[in-house]
This record gives sequence, structure tokens and C-alpha cells, in this order.
Amino acid sequence: MSISATSAPILPSIATNGAPIPHAAPAREKVKIEGLNFFYGQNQALKDITLSLRENQVTAFIGPSGCGKSTLLRVLNRIYELYPNQRAEGRVLLDGEDILDPKQDRNVLRARIGMVFQKPTPFPMSIYENIAFGVRLYENLPRAEMNDRVEHALRGAALWTEVKDKLHASGTSLSGGQQQRLCIARTVAVKPEVILFDEPCSALDPISTSRIEELIDELSSSYTIAIVTHNMQQAARVSEHTAFMYLGELVEFGDTQAIFTAPKNKQTEQYITGRFG
Amino acid sequence: MEPVAVRARALPARRKSANAVFQGLCYAATALGLTALCLILGSLLYNGVGGLSLRVFTEITPGPGSQGGLLNAIVGSLIMTVLGVAVGTPIGILAGTFMAEYGRYKRITPVVRFINDILLSAPSIIIGLFVYELVVVPMGGFSALAGGAALAIIVIPVVIRTTEDMLLLVPNQLREAAASIGAPRSVIIRSVCYKAAQAGIVTGVLLAVARVSGETAPLLFTALGNLNFSLRLTSPMASLPLTINQFASSAYPEWQSLAWTGALIITAAVLLLSIVARVLVSKRSGR
Amino acid sequence: MVNIPMSAVSIGGRDLAVRRFAASDAFFRLLTRSAAYFVLTLLGGFLLTLVFGAWLALSTFGISFFTSQSWNPNPDILKFGALAPIYGTVVTSAVAMTLALPVGLGIAVFLTELCPLRLRRVIGTAIELLAGVPSIIYGMWGLFVLAPVLQNLENNYLAPAVSEIPILSTVFAGPSYGQGILTAGIILAIMVLPFIAAVSRDVFQTVPPVLKEAAFGLGATTREVVTRVVLPYSRVGVIGGAMLALGRALGETMAVTFVIGNDPKVRASLLAPGTTISSSIANEFAEAKEAMHSSALVALGLILFVITLIVLAAARLLLLRMNKQAGA
Repeated sequence: MSISATSAPILPSIATNGAPIPHAAPAREKVKIEGLNFFYGQNQALKDITLSLRENQVTAFIGPSGCGKSTLLRVLNRIYELYPNQRAEGRVLLDGEDILDPKQDRNVLRARIGMVFQKPTPFPMSIYENIAFGVRLYENLPRAEMNDRVEHALRGAALWTEVKDKLHASGTSLSGGQQQRLCIARTVAVKPEVILFDEPCSALDPISTSRIEELIDELSSSYTIAIVTHNMQQAARVSEHTAFMYLGELVEFGDTQAIFTAPKNKQTEQYITGRFG
Repeated sequence: MEPVAVRARALPARRKSANAVFQGLCYAATALGLTALCLILGSLLYNGVGGLSLRVFTEITPGPGSQGGLLNAIVGSLIMTVLGVAVGTPIGILAGTFMAEYGRYKRITPVVRFINDILLSAPSIIIGLFVYELVVVPMGGFSALAGGAALAIIVIPVVIRTTEDMLLLVPNQLREAAASIGAPRSVIIRSVCYKAAQAGIVTGVLLAVARVSGETAPLLFTALGNLNFSLRLTSPMASLPLTINQFASSAYPEWQSLAWTGALIITAAVLLLSIVARVLVSKRSGR
Repeated sequence: MVNIPMSAVSIGGRDLAVRRFAASDAFFRLLTRSAAYFVLTLLGGFLLTLVFGAWLALSTFGISFFTSQSWNPNPDILKFGALAPIYGTVVTSAVAMTLALPVGLGIAVFLTELCPLRLRRVIGTAIELLAGVPSIIYGMWGLFVLAPVLQNLENNYLAPAVSEIPILSTVFAGPSYGQGILTAGIILAIMVLPFIAAVSRDVFQTVPPVLKEAAFGLGATTREVVTRVVLPYSRVGVIGGAMLALGRALGETMAVTFVIGNDPKVRASLLAPGTTISSSIANEFAEAKEAMHSSALVALGLILFVITLIVLAAARLLLLRMNKQAGA
């Protein structure tokens, strides 16, 4: 089937009206991935990936299960180093510095590049402590300032009004959607520069999902965001750029509008139209 | 097409009776076990309750043929148990932490686990022999310190086992979440993993306490026992199980009666600790 | 729109934190690793002390230490042989396992299949309480309550009843003093019973309900489901639990010492008194005056340790091999 050159969406349901439109002048490259290869033991999971995340914009990663999109995300904050037999080769530049360099402190890196996971994981502490915990690692704030920080973070995650009267309740006493927003607040509280979202809504109901999507939209004005998602409509809704991955390779990368209306690669088109995946 | 007649099938008599016999045996087995429990606890109560009086807790052990109490034995047990738990628990928790966290993927960990299992099931009298050679001989005599050391060696494997098991239960996502806001390993372990595994680790310590409170064999030639009241850690010290051992195998009825009372006290303490530990676990999982 | 100021954290502050973290990480890692290695040194210490202590006796008596029944602490004679204690340890444990294994499994089956739900927790807890009773209590109970009863039963009913039957008349030959191998075996059985029951019950509970439902759905009786589905599925765990129980029985001291009769002789009858390794050590070590005597006792301890080690290692290997077979 030939790809029409019109800008009509291939799938009416993936309407890109209202999706964020990339700025006229391309934003600065906040994170630049160059020739990234990743191995689980002998198994190569990422093959020669090269792309950039633009500052204060949302980049979505889509692709069928096992294509490597989560693996890629987990390289960006070096969280894979918690496990043996996993290694990354190549360069990942954050503001020009290679974060894969062993001389880079990975704890500081993770404070600069935060991550929100698929399953909400509140710490076994109060809501207040969940957020203060990360802040205390690097800053020594007096009580009043810490209170402000916590409030700021909770507002930033659209959770403040719901929990302001029970800040000392356990983090686990919240609902699933609230817990995920708590995790987002926790990540935002340490003032990162980049936030990675690994399928943040797949464990949530549709209402919570749309609230989180709104949140991502708001956050993108202050942070560089990368989001891995199984849900193509979600990718189309929230992102300015989209990367389609398949079997560890970056198949196509470009403006979200373009990817969903006029993909250049046949595989991309097949995935988007639901031929496989 | 002819309808197939549905025959009501009866179970062959042989299978039915085999099943009945089998089930009967299982009931009998349970009855046997419960009967044993009742008989033992029953005779404890019957023989020990009569001797229960304030005197038991206020007077020290008497000479042969006289009346007295168990104060020095009770105090001695408390002191040595505290010693053993105070030394054994930190070592056990730290070692268990290594096995579940820093060393989880290292080759040394399965070796340590295997050796820990051996120590866990090692006959406690051999631990007594070991501490005798290591502590009593150099010190030139029996002592509460030696007794405490022997108890610590019993506590360590128990605490290691429960700590490692409980820490392994903490989901990795929690660790990743803490790591992803920049927490270093030691902070992740202390602030997140320990908190999450808290109830289980405490339960492990309680179980260790329950276990060492009733131990006699490792104290036989380390603390030796003492018929007088002594708080000196470098001298032989009395303990409840040791006193029971000595009094029960004697020929004096007063001593035998005290032995039963002491046995009742120890059993009550141990069962209480076990029940508390159990309640802690269920409260945690019931949440 | 949320507007959070970006670089409020000074680079200096982060650097300090990084250094602090590196130090605390290194320290904590060292601390925990030392604790784990300490466990290794403990075992090493055990073996070393036992071997050193046993050397005198073992080098003096050699192989005869394992085959001789003599046990004479008399300073003029000083002849020791471990045959009687080893025999006693092995036989009492064998009796204990023979009695406890079927009963323990029966209790586990009861708790998982037959017991009404409301009673399950209560009875399960009761059985586990039995495991918490200190061993010296078992010893006392055995001495004061069980031994007299058994003496009566054995002398007046058991021995006469089997006096005509060829093998049994030797195995259960009187007279009985209540304290003996059989009594010790029974006490041990009661001690390891709750352990076997608890471990087996836990293992039975790991059988996927669908498996049992499938069998029941075919019309199988409870007996058939247990013997053909549950037990085969969980045999690994059950055997492992049994071997651990065996290890416990082999090393048990206080319960046995009270009721074994403390006679260092090997006798054919189960009703006769005997001795075990742990009770020999418990009874004699504190007062052993001769170096040879102490050394012989430590040698006994070494033998016991090695036996327990073998049983444990065998249990582990068995579990490993069965897991491999099951494709785990």
C-alpha cells in the first residue's frame, strides 16, 4: 500500500490535532545518544542507536514488546548498573558530557535524570517523607524550606489538594493513580533536568491516565521528557518527537506529526496501522 | 440418535475404604500430635504451678533439701540472653544484608548461605565445645561471657537466614525507585530496604531469642551454672535451663519441684515470644 | 503552569554529598562483607578446634576408636571407643524418623486437605507451638512421665507379647527400666514431629490448586489426590524437610540425655539403655580430668559434626539434582 503524501492521518483515531507542535527553531539537544549498543550478557539488545532528546520537549518511544525501548531508557540513568552482566557501549551526552564515562558519578546523574516507573512504588514512609527523602540526600534544608519544597513538588504533580491534610499518612495508603503522581512528585522534588517515563500509565485506569498525560504536558515546559509507551494514541497525544524501535534498532525518528501521518519507513507504517505489534 | 443412559456410578468399595482408612490415619496422626502437646503442657502445669510463688522470683536457688527460688537463674538467663542477642543480631543482620544486597550476584554468597545452613543446624553441644576451647580455656575458667558467646553463635545463623529472606522479598522496583532519585547503595539499603523488611527482621530476632532462652547444652561447659547470685560476667553464671537440668536429675524433691516450676516459666516465656512474633508477621501481611 | 527554579542546588553542595556517599558506601560495604566472611571463619574455627582437640584420641586409637565399645576413663586404663555412642545416635534417630515421618505427613495432609477452615489456623499454631518447647522440657517430661509408663508397658505387655516371635523377641527384649533407646527415640520423634509437619504443610501449600482440582474433577478420592498428585509434586521439599529433621534428631542433647539410660554399651534390644554422642559429651565433659578423656569426647563431637554435615550436604545435593530434573 503506497503512502499518501497528504497530511491526513492514516488512522482517524490517531488524530494529531492538538498535539504539541515542535518549535519553529529546533530546540537545543539536551541528551545526545551516539552509537549506543547494549548487551544483556551475550545478547545484544540495542544496536547502534543514535538520536537526541530536545530540551523541554517530549520524545516518545514506541514499538512492539522486546524492541528495546525500556532498555534504552534505563541506559540514560544508568539504572541497569544495579544488575550484573549488563553493559552499554557508545556515548550518551548530557549537555555535552558523556554520562557513560565511569568517572561520572551515577548517583548525581540520577538526581539530574529522574525516572518514573511502570508500577507506582511509594517508599514505605509517609507521603511527606517520600518526597523529603530525595531532597535530603543532596540538600540540607531547614524545616520551613522543606515544607515548601514538598508542597511545590506535590502541586507540580497535581496531588497537593488531595493529600495536603494527610501528609503523614503512609504513601501506600493512596490509590494507584495517586501513588503514581506521588512518584512523579518525588522525582520532581530533586529538581532534575530530564525526566524519563517508563510506561507510566499501563498500570492505571483511564481517568488517572489522562491526568498523568496532562501532567506530562505541563511538566514539559520545564523539563526534557522521554516517555516509553505501548499506547500509540498516547504517544501521539503528548509528544513532539517520536522514535519507533524494532528488535533493538531505531527504525525511524522524527516529528510526531510526521511519523503518524506520513511515516517514511514501511515497518513504521505497518506498526502504526496495527499490522503487527 | 439414542440418548445415552446416564448411569449413577458408585465408587468401588475398595477405593472408598482405602480413602476412609487414609483419612482416618490422618485424623489419628493429628490427634496424636495434639495429645502429645496436651500431655506435655499439662504435666508442666500440673507439676509446676504448685511451686509458683513470689518466692520463686525473689529468692536464689537453695542448697540440696531446702526451700528456695530461682532468682539467680532467671537473672542469669536474662543476662546471657541479652549478651548473646546483642552480639549476634548486628553480625547476623549485616551478614544477611551483604548476601541480599551487595553480594547478591557474587559467587561467594551461595557458599556463605550453605555454610550458614550448616551452622543453623549444627548440634548446639558442639558449639559449647568450640566456645570452651576458644574462651573458657584461655580465660582459665567458666564464665557468663563464654555462655553469652555460645548463645551469640546460635543467634547469628537464625538472624542471617531471616534477614536475607526478608530482604530478598523486597521488590527490586523499590530499590530502582530509590536509586533513580540519586540515592547511593548504603542509603537505599538503610532507608528503604530495612524499612520495608522491618517486621520480618524483628520477627527473626524474636525467634532467635525464643530459641536461645531454652538452650541448655551450649551452656553446660561455658557458663557452667552457679548456685549463688552473681552478676560477674567473668564468673560462672546460673541460667534457668542449667538449673532445671541440675535439679531435675537430682534426688531431692524440693529441687525437682523447683525444676518443674522453672520449666513452666521458661516454656511460658518461649511460647509468649513465639506468639508475639507470629502476631507481628500476620499484622504485617494483613495490611 | 508549574515554575520550579532550575539550578537552586550549588555544584559545591552536590560534590560534598558525592564524597560523603562514596565514603559511607565503601564503609557499609566493608562492614557487611566482613560480617559475611565472619560466618566462614566461624565454620573454619569449628573444624579446627574440633580436629585439634580430637587429635590426641584419634591418633592414639586410630580405627579402633570407631569399632570398640570400651569406654574407660580410669586413669590407669584410659581406653575409649565410639561404637556405643555412634550406635545410639544412629538408632535413636532412625526410630525417631520412622515414627515421626508418617505422623508428620499425616498431620500435614490433615491441615491442608481435611481440616475445617476455621480450625486450620488454631491447630496449625498448636502444632508449631510444640516445636517451640525447649528440649530440656521434653527431657524432663520423658524422664518423669513417659519413662515410667513405658517401663510398665514394655515389661508387662510388649516383651511378653513378642517373646515367641523370632526377630522381634530380640529387638524388644526386657527387662526395661523405662530409660532406653526406644524411649529416647520416641521423645525425639515428638520433638521433630512438628518440624516435619510444618515444613510438609508449607510445601503442600505450594501445590497449584489447579492440579488438585483437575484430579478431584476426575473423581479421585482424597487419598488418591494426595498420594498421586500432592506428594509427588512436593517430594523435593518433603525430603529436604525430613533430612533437616534428621539432622536435628542426630544432634539433640538434653531431651535424650534424660531418658537414654547412659550406658555405653551396644545392645540388641531397643528397650535396653544406651548412650548417644551428644549425651556422652553432656554428661562427662565438664568433669573429664584426663586429657585423653576430654580428647575422646571432642573426637565424639567431631564425628557428630561430620555426620550432621554429611546429612545436610546430601539434602542439599538431592534438592539440587531434583530441581534440575524438574527443569527448574
